[in-house]
Amino acid sequence: MKTQGLYHPSMEHDACGVGFVVKIDGTRTHQVVRDGVQILKNLVHRGAVGGDLKTGDGAGMILQIPHKFFSKVLKVPLPAEGKYGVGMLFLPRQAKDSERARKMIAEQIISDGGKVLGWREVPVHPDCLGEMARTVMPSICQVFVAYDGLEGLALERRLYILRKVLENEAAKLGWALEDFYIPSLSSRTVVYKGMFAAPQFDHFFIDLMDADLVSALAVVHQRYSTNTFPSWALAHPFHFLAHNGEINTLRGNINKMMAREGRISSDLLGAGIKKLFPIINPSLSDSGIFDNVFELLTLGGRSMEHAMMMMVPEAFGVKYHISEAKRSFFEYHAAIMEPWDGPAAVAFTDGTKVGAILDRNGLRPARYVITKSGLVVMASEVGVLDLNPPDILEKGMLSPGKMLLVDTAAQRVIKDNEIKSGIARSKPYRRWLEENRIELRGLLQVPGPVEVDEKTLALRQRIFGYTLEDEKMILLPMAENAQEPVGSMGNDAALAVLSERSQLLYNYFRQLFAQVTNPPIDPYRENLVMSLMSFVGRQGNLLSETPEHCHQLKLSHPILTNDDIERLKASNMTSFRVCTVPMVFDASAGGLEKAIEMLCANVEQKLDEGYSLVILSDREAGPGKAPIPALLAGSAVHQYLIRKGKRYLAGLVLETGEAREVHHFACLVGYGVNAVNPYLVFESLVDLKRRGHLPAAMALETAIENYITAVKKGLLKVMSKMGISTLRSYRGAQIFEAVGLSDTFVERYFPGTSSRIRGIGLDVVERESLDRFNKAFQESHSDTETLNSGGNYHYRLNTEKHLFSPQAIVNLQKSVREGDYSVFKRYTSEVNDISRNLCTLRGLFKFKKGQPVPIEEVEPADSIVKRFVTSAMSFGSISKETHETIAIAMNRLGASSNSGEGGEDEARYKPLPNGDSSKSSIKQVASARFGVTINYLANSRELQIKMAQGAKPGEGGQLPGHKVSELIAQVRHSMPGVMLISPPPHHDIYSIEDLAQLIFDLKNANPEARISVKLVSEVGVGTVAAGVAKGKADMVLISGHDGGTGASPISSIKYAGSPWEIGLAEAQQVLVMNKLRDRIRVQVDGQLKTGRDVVIGAMLGAEEFGFGTTAVVTLGCIMMRKCHLNTCPVGVATQNPELRKRFAGKPEHLINFMKFIAQEVREIMAELGFRKFEEMVGRVDRLEVLEAITHYKTRGLDFSKVLAVPEVPQGGSVRCVSAPVHDFSLSLDPDLIKKAKSALEFKQPVVLEQKIRNCNRTVGTTLSYEIAKRYGLKGLPEDTIKIKFEGSAGQSFGAFLAHGVTFELEGDANDYFGKGLSGGKLIVYPPRSANFRPQDNVITGNVNLFGATGGEAYIHGRAGVRFCVRNSGALAVVEGVGDHGCEYMTGGRVIILGQTGVNFAAGMSGGIAYVLDESQYFDTRCNLEMVDLEPVAEKEDREFLKTTIEKHAKFTGSSYAKAILASWDEMLPRFVKVMPMDYKKAMAKMKEHQMKNSESAEMTEEVFG
Amino acid sequence: MFKSGAQIPDDHFRGGIQNTSQAMDSRLKLAGMTCYLQYCSEWRTVIMGKSDGFLEYKRSLSPKRPVKERLKDYEEIAKPLFGDEILKQGARCMDCGIPFCHALGCPVSNLIPEWNDAVYRGQWHEAYERLSLTNNLPEVTGRVCPAPCETACTLAINQAPVTIEQIELSIIEKAFAEGWVKPQPPAKETGKKIAVVGSGPAGLASAQQLRRAGHTVTLFEKSSRIGGLLRFGIPDFKLEKWVLDRRIEQMKAEGVRFEVNVDVGTVLSAEELKKNFDVVLLTMGAGAPRDLKVPGRELSGVHYAMDFLTLSNKVISGEVKTSPDISAKGKTVLVIGGGDTGSDCVGTSNRQGAKKVYQFEILPKPQEWKEPWNPSWPNWPLILRTSTSHEEGCERDWAITTKEFKGKDGKVHEAHCARVEWARDKATGQYSMKEIPGSEFVLQADLVLLAMGFVHVEHSKLLTDLGVQFDARGNIQTDKNYMTSVPGVFAAGDAVRGASLVVWAINQGRQAAQAVDTFLKV
Repeated sequence: MKTQGLYHPSMEHDACGVGFVVKIDGTRTHQVVRDGVQILKNLVHRGAVGGDLKTGDGAGMILQIPHKFFSKVLKVPLPAEGKYGVGMLFLPRQAKDSERARKMIAEQIISDGGKVLGWREVPVHPDCLGEMARTVMPSICQVFVAYDGLEGLALERRLYILRKVLENEAAKLGWALEDFYIPSLSSRTVVYKGMFAAPQFDHFFIDLMDADLVSALAVVHQRYSTNTFPSWALAHPFHFLAHNGEINTLRGNINKMMAREGRISSDLLGAGIKKLFPIINPSLSDSGIFDNVFELLTLGGRSMEHAMMMMVPEAFGVKYHISEAKRSFFEYHAAIMEPWDGPAAVAFTDGTKVGAILDRNGLRPARYVITKSGLVVMASEVGVLDLNPPDILEKGMLSPGKMLLVDTAAQRVIKDNEIKSGIARSKPYRRWLEENRIELRGLLQVPGPVEVDEKTLALRQRIFGYTLEDEKMILLPMAENAQEPVGSMGNDAALAVLSERSQLLYNYFRQLFAQVTNPPIDPYRENLVMSLMSFVGRQGNLLSETPEHCHQLKLSHPILTNDDIERLKASNMTSFRVCTVPMVFDASAGGLEKAIEMLCANVEQKLDEGYSLVILSDREAGPGKAPIPALLAGSAVHQYLIRKGKRYLAGLVLETGEAREVHHFACLVGYGVNAVNPYLVFESLVDLKRRGHLPAAMALETAIENYITAVKKGLLKVMSKMGISTLRSYRGAQIFEAVGLSDTFVERYFPGTSSRIRGIGLDVVERESLDRFNKAFQESHSDTETLNSGGNYHYRLNTEKHLFSPQAIVNLQKSVREGDYSVFKRYTSEVNDISRNLCTLRGLFKFKKGQPVPIEEVEPADSIVKRFVTSAMSFGSISKETHETIAIAMNRLGASSNSGEGGEDEARYKPLPNGDSSKSSIKQVASARFGVTINYLANSRELQIKMAQGAKPGEGGQLPGHKVSELIAQVRHSMPGVMLISPPPHHDIYSIEDLAQLIFDLKNANPEARISVKLVSEVGVGTVAAGVAKGKADMVLISGHDGGTGASPISSIKYAGSPWEIGLAEAQQVLVMNKLRDRIRVQVDGQLKTGRDVVIGAMLGAEEFGFGTTAVVTLGCIMMRKCHLNTCPVGVATQNPELRKRFAGKPEHLINFMKFIAQEVREIMAELGFRKFEEMVGRVDRLEVLEAITHYKTRGLDFSKVLAVPEVPQGGSVRCVSAPVHDFSLSLDPDLIKKAKSALEFKQPVVLEQKIRNCNRTVGTTLSYEIAKRYGLKGLPEDTIKIKFEGSAGQSFGAFLAHGVTFELEGDANDYFGKGLSGGKLIVYPPRSANFRPQDNVITGNVNLFGATGGEAYIHGRAGVRFCVRNSGALAVVEGVGDHGCEYMTGGRVIILGQTGVNFAAGMSGGIAYVLDESQYFDTRCNLEMVDLEPVAEKEDREFLKTTIEKHAKFTGSSYAKAILASWDEMLPRFVKVMPMDYKKAMAKMKEHQMKNSESAEMTEEVFG
Repeated sequence: MFKSGAQIPDDHFRGGIQNTSQAMDSRLKLAGMTCYLQYCSEWRTVIMGKSDGFLEYKRSLSPKRPVKERLKDYEEIAKPLFGDEILKQGARCMDCGIPFCHALGCPVSNLIPEWNDAVYRGQWHEAYERLSLTNNLPEVTGRVCPAPCETACTLAINQAPVTIEQIELSIIEKAFAEGWVKPQPPAKETGKKIAVVGSGPAGLASAQQLRRAGHTVTLFEKSSRIGGLLRFGIPDFKLEKWVLDRRIEQMKAEGVRFEVNVDVGTVLSAEELKKNFDVVLLTMGAGAPRDLKVPGRELSGVHYAMDFLTLSNKVISGEVKTSPDISAKGKTVLVIGGGDTGSDCVGTSNRQGAKKVYQFEILPKPQEWKEPWNPSWPNWPLILRTSTSHEEGCERDWAITTKEFKGKDGKVHEAHCARVEWARDKATGQYSMKEIPGSEFVLQADLVLLAMGFVHVEHSKLLTDLGVQFDARGNIQTDKNYMTSVPGVFAAGDAVRGASLVVWAINQGRQAAQAVDTFLKV
């Protein structure tokens, strides 16, 4: 599919199921191939089908070359095995072109000195394909090639070069990936793949049915992509690997590879190496590109394991217990290659060895089974092959960062430790590092005094655009609290390109963030995987290893103090020379363009002279000399050097007065700068200290250190938002979208960045710079050397424009209170006028005239308001009064309010005496799952999965303890006074197929409710929306970047996400083009304020509309922007009882507002000639751009992509006309519900038995819904419904299981076991016939009991990573867990009878865990930030522990538990009690409280009794 | 009155203030600022980081001198607030996302949250810097402004607003005391010559701004001394005149040329003015008072309020030594008109020793409002206001029309009045007044002061000679850049706007200065 409108193919994402099967001894059988196919078929739910409901997203397999089979089917004789190569070819569809391609291939082989042994048409059955796949099906054939005398690796390298030559040749002929692609060309492996769903696989490729097609191994992959434009080439596996996940840092990795090409040489590849360039084919997917580089490293001389360790290094921070050799290996390689960062489970093979690796975060599942009969099965899920339980030797999973290898030549399974220690010791990496790495001594010590030229300080600050607000709202909080400042409400200031005031270049860049297709990371609770360390300097040849490779400057983070930069400048090492290049231009003559050219040339010259570090400095800025915008200079030089192939020659450091906010540093590093010295910040801090703005007791050094810490934390946050762990890979990754920059400007200085509405060019950037510069001098005639107010965050007259002007608020409130529509019109005309005066993109739109209709004929307001919702605001962020008033108002209108993510008091499910209902009909399911019980889910009309929030996409949040009142604690299932943390990701959504799974779970949890997914506008949101549609959501919400918040870092409020106009248009276009729009509704929100906004939203494709900020303003909010301080003076966003009394909003106010909006919509409809609202939806053709855009900055804007009318495919639609069809064919619940009828209706106990396998997902959830519907959260009496399962349970086994249901599972379970457990009981144990030791084997998957609110779970065996994350009430016993156990837990109790992974109890603020710590190393694996480790001393604890373990032994039959009980007195002291500190205090307080109460009760009885 | 209604007594705070105020008894004289300085240094005890200051601290205004005491002199009524108390008052500011005080309340758009915050942190110099960015005469507005900022304060939605005005006063007095208020002569001279006509607040503000921009500015005043309405219209008990002198000194040092006793238009012809100056800026105020055209108006003892107040001010300043022609001493005074000028007449009459003072207003009595918040937030509420002068003794009555004055020996002796009724016309929405039959009454009075507002700028010879056009209300008409119909002639302040607040005049003066500066650059 080609670029069209806002759609860009580079935005596609995919994820999937991956796996392999291998015979350890290398025996080749056809059964292995069949097993591979079977694995695929059992992973089919992890894939997806497209708009025609038939075209799969792709599936494929790598096999060993089946020599016998080829010898049989090929007409000509073949040389001996291993002496020839087989090319699997996807050639052009047209016979003529296909013939040309073959001819070209043959010619190239011959000219390369090879021999074409023969050709073979690969027999296929295209009839089984979906139509979309069939129309683009390539002509598939195989070519057999030999080179005289070559075999083994030598032949393999020759074939590699040959393939690259063929690819380059094809590119020259103008063939794109769809026309010409070589899935494999190797003497060792062959790849079969294509655009089908797994079940069609072996039917399509007839070869796969042939008993002579044998292999000892099969690597398989089932793809789920966000697109439905079929691409045969992009199906996995690639030449060496299949990948489940996403490479987030791709752009940076590509650029860095390009930069390195100039330096690559290899004896093994010889002179032919030049033919390999470009190493990367940029039109491939992230996985394909990863494969390109992996292939180079592997064939360039490193082993596959070594290459993987370079590309997907495990975390090696100080918190990890790893050997010095390993740590040195990783650090050494950090100087050579950056990580390819992002969630990844990769299966790889070269035909002899097959392995798998997980990224450092371990965010994709990888389960494996080793059998006694010599088979290894690895897959995203367990249970994909039927294996005989007694034959099982080991069941395990890959831990984060770990690798597993099967070497069929050595006939061994090799585990992580052996692989890595072997490689780490192969060279003296540690010594090399010690002798060569350069460190800035003093960097980590206290910063020295800062020299300030006070006379010119204010002037220089003004040159760089400093305002008082910058000082007070950015610098001071950072210096005081070592934290990024926090703000609240949304951002309603003008977009940079619409602002009439001079803007810094950074303001045109919006941070991208992870949503759905990959998870963000929690940089605080999981900071052990994060790293800001990097090497700076001249890099060595990628394909060799020498001590000099690490002769670079090691920086622990990229912020340099003024001392540091001085120290660098003064360095006189001959092997590491440092120079400074001025970064200024002549202010009088202008000529920024020339100045940049000069700068680039200067830097290049310095590199040619042998400098290893270049400092670009704007310190010379002053009279006559204006600073070149630092971001422009940095990126321009970086890109120039990449183009010249010289970027690897030196590190690039900026010494700039411009950078001050986290976003600035993120931009600079994100566009390739190695380190930054923000000297003017430090000088400003000195000045602020002098003026008394910093606490008197705070030393200046502390302030500086705090500031740096704040920047570091902020950078981690920005990186983690995108799911990136290391600065090395973030640097140059360009994780930004530009809004308002012209194509030529971006192509020239920021190539690869999306900029979809075009905008200003270099001339305006220059004008804005000079504007600041000249003003700085003009304004200095006055004696007061003061800065301007700013006005960007807080309103100031005559500064930055804000959509919500003071007068607009006053008018809006007056109109809704008095019910006066004429005042409302004054409000809307004010807001619309401001937006016309450049605040929002929609302000620049106008409607095309139509044939007016009488307003009486237009759909009534009462029906239009039903399309309106209030945006999610949690009880907790706003007061009870506000929350309930909103719900009552919206219910009266028949519209919907949204609970937000804070749960909901069950009392609200009952109607009020006057007939009102304060129940929120939309219930949000957010990452923390506060109060998400089966009853909460059952009591809703819509369930909304919040993937992101406009004000802080990709971030979690936290509610400080003092805000957790009793009532809030109650609805959130937590303890009053104990801090609550929302994780950045949903721990059950790490990728698109996971989202589909959660949608499926929720659909099961409430079949009546529609399921919606909230996304935030950013480039690529359209393809994500397509993925959401394919995941069968009923509605997708596109939120603007400017949405409100109760609390969020200011840089997120300001700089993350993009305007909804672009995101909505993109979503609409992609959905329409993909034929998905007809089955999903679209909603929009983000600073919607007027009827005009609604109509524009409708025309851009929205059917429904959310009002957040505006809704609360009608109820009294006056944009105080203090929600995060709990001091809201009008009782809206506060929990302070005194302030809550001040809440003056009434349901009528909000009702009036909604009706007024609807009325205004009607007026516009009448004028434009629409009678029904739905007629307007998607009518983008009725929008045009105001010609009257006259401001010099807006002249370059181009909305043609936003206003592009998408082509509607046959049978497609521009609005929703149907609903998604869910496939419950493999669901067990309908049958279970039938069988449990007597229990459901009469509470009669029922006992059932049931076979289960991994494709039976989400079992027990609809059953629980039936219970909640009848009996609420309290459910049925214990054990009323008992069901015994046998087999491998699919994902979400027992999700939201209600009280009264007991599931016993003999076998094993997959991810999300017991998700949201709501009172039910789960028991798991391995098959009774198995004889492996359960406590050493993994029998349930990752993320068990996520968000459980109650119930019990007994697991005889180990569980995967993230056990009991966000548990708030369940009791669990397990015999061992992976990393991040009990993370963010706020309640419940967990007993772990064995080893835990690392980072146990991170962010755990409540509940108690008991861990059997036999090794006495537990404290090194536990995150001690919020918890204390105590012995199990109290009688109460001891008894609880013993009785619960006894239960565990009884329920599961665990011999292990029995053994522990048998020697209880010896075992008890080995238990550690993990006790959150706040929780302990809160418990003590409650106890005291209770005691007091009971004492006084007794006293009363005594006295009065 | 809204402001006094907002005052919440708090003994705890009082205790701290009394000590200070004892030491401050010697008053803030131009020469006697030493004690002020002494206390300024103690202001640095900082209360840090109160985001909920408005919950913790109550509004408290500086205490007023007792009525008995203040009636004996013309000195200012309220004492400034010192010590931690003012910091606490600053701490009450919430630093709003939208500061309505600044955005909708204050006509000069004072950066109120910025200096409130600075005061609360004890950063007085910073507070002064922020204050002087927007206001040339904060020492005046800090004393006489009705403070629309406070009625627009976000706190006034449901509690007592921040005491913005007295914080403003504290800042500027502190700045003068510390010597921070220095002349700011321009760095460069432009050589352009500007005549500013009229030295009221608009004239002063514009002259200072224009001078600082490097122009040669001559400020013409037809009276004997600089200050216009500020000097002659406002009684000392509201604004002592050394306050003006102090600022005028600064302006002189900056190079503004003051020409007093020059009635431009006669002494200096319009022609000459235009010839000698690149730009003429008219800031002569709206001097034509509204008259009461009833029988007996010509009687002696019936005066315009401004004549009465001007004379009184001249006596106080010593400019007029002899006993005044118009005096309230021993008389029964009737003030007609319920506005600020009327109120000033009440206070002055009482000080002169009036036997009894009446004040009649033709409009109905406004709503009484005892709550500390503003019922019309953020707008100016129409509620009953009781000024300090009213507290000093005055009988007020509303909805009264004066029909005739009768006198003895050509001297006024009684006023014949009647009660009126106001009704709203449903169709037009206009209010109209009707006399209530049989409600006539007679009030004995031997001094009648007409304080019924001003109609427009005086249509003087200068204006006629210049040929500037007037608007429908008789004020000078200007375009949005403050230029009159005559190129190069600008106008600002009450002369354009009609009679209004001092702070509006300052605002217009500043904006006109900006416009003139731009005009001269082109």
